[in-house]
Amino acid sequence: MKVAIVDYGLGNLRSVSGAVSKLGYLPFETHDKEEILSADKLILPGVGAFGDGMKNLHSLGLIECLNQSVLEKKTPILGICLGSQLMAKISYEFGKHEGLGWINASVKKLNSGTNLRIPHVGWNGIVLIKEDPLFTGILSNELFYFVHSFHVCCEEKQAIVAECEYGIQFTAAFHKDNIFGTQFHPEKSQSIGLKLLNNFLSLC
Amino acid sequence: MLKNRLITVLTFNDGVLFRTRNFIPDYRYTLNFVDAWSIDEIVVLDITRFGQGSKDHFFTVVSDFARNCFVPLAAGGGVRTINDFKRLLRFGADKIIINSEALRRPEFIREAAMQFGSQCVVVSIDARRMPSGDYEVFSEFGNKATGLDVVTWARKAQASGAGEIMLTSIDRDGTLEGYDNYLNRIVSEAIDIPVLVSGGVGKWQDFVDGFKLGKAQAVCTTNIYHFTETSIRSAKQFLAHSGIDVRV
Repeated sequence: MKVAIVDYGLGNLRSVSGAVSKLGYLPFETHDKEEILSADKLILPGVGAFGDGMKNLHSLGLIECLNQSVLEKKTPILGICLGSQLMAKISYEFGKHEGLGWINASVKKLNSGTNLRIPHVGWNGIVLIKEDPLFTGILSNELFYFVHSFHVCCEEKQAIVAECEYGIQFTAAFHKDNIFGTQFHPEKSQSIGLKLLNNFLSLC
Repeated sequence: MLKNRLITVLTFNDGVLFRTRNFIPDYRYTLNFVDAWSIDEIVVLDITRFGQGSKDHFFTVVSDFARNCFVPLAAGGGVRTINDFKRLLRFGADKIIINSEALRRPEFIREAAMQFGSQCVVVSIDARRMPSGDYEVFSEFGNKATGLDVVTWARKAQASGAGEIMLTSIDRDGTLEGYDNYLNRIVSEAIDIPVLVSGGVGKWQDFVDGFKLGKAQAVCTTNIYHFTETSIRSAKQFLAHSGIDVRV
């Protein structure tokens, strides 16, 4: 199975490919259009600012190729953190930016309105909203590692798979058709994170 | 609920895990000592002095950790440029720790935050208690007085885009006397970003005090004996019994 990790110059590629290798797959980090189009599974990682992320995808000419893979070929894709946010229609991080628009959602600042510290950094429990192949064998209250100041607000509530609480309830994971996204970092969430990645690679 | 974090800090000299005990360098330690499954986060710091080793040895350390530990990895030591950030991130670090360069050029914090996001930028602050009772910030491995008050600098680092502050008491470092929780509390209460406290842990109760008295969001230990075999698990059980919500 060809697992492509989309390299658009932002984020923790090495940790994602390390985790995928640990699970016995041979991932490759790429921004080559042919390789992305021929992949069986795609992972869109990312750490950083939304505007930069979209700018890099544009300048590498990857928008069309990703649209073709994901929307036409229906290749399963997992967005992690910023990667999941890029799948939304619009983001309000440092201005207003258009995203890939695969999910009817917007990206907003974690505005908890309390005295909780932002960014939200560390291990936090998730609550499963519904059953999903991505969470096979994973229960509510399992801890995942989060590090973010913005979050995805899904307009399509049926896409929400898991939520997390930090001042407010926000979407921790979503799934629509072949498109999956997690706000947390499975590649940094110890054995439970590896389990989720394995679910994506073997069941989704 | 967001859990309180326990972080292991490892220092490397020319790629070798390095500790001193009774001021005598001891190089026996290997990475196998680290219980990578119970710890919440790992910090690796390069303390190689300029000209006394190769940066590549530290990069190897970073990529070894990134390949084998599925927890967040922060790396630092001698980070001076955006290029240094890029290189460490490429080798698998998730966050980068900066110290002296931020003091020399505070706009470096903003430049890094703009490019990599605030969550990637940890500003490390080394403070020493002055005879007046105030805390002064020191740079260059604690060697150089800056004249800056610790709270003023922590606020400025936050305003410039730092995602977290890693606060070390120079006075307590290596003493096993516990954290300087007065220092920790005045910094933590002055800012809104997470504070990681370090310097002085000698027993599990010191971790509890770091959270309860020091108002820390994460406690760090550099003491090698604190992450052998089952130590991390024991420490977390102790914390949980003391009413601190941790990932066990």
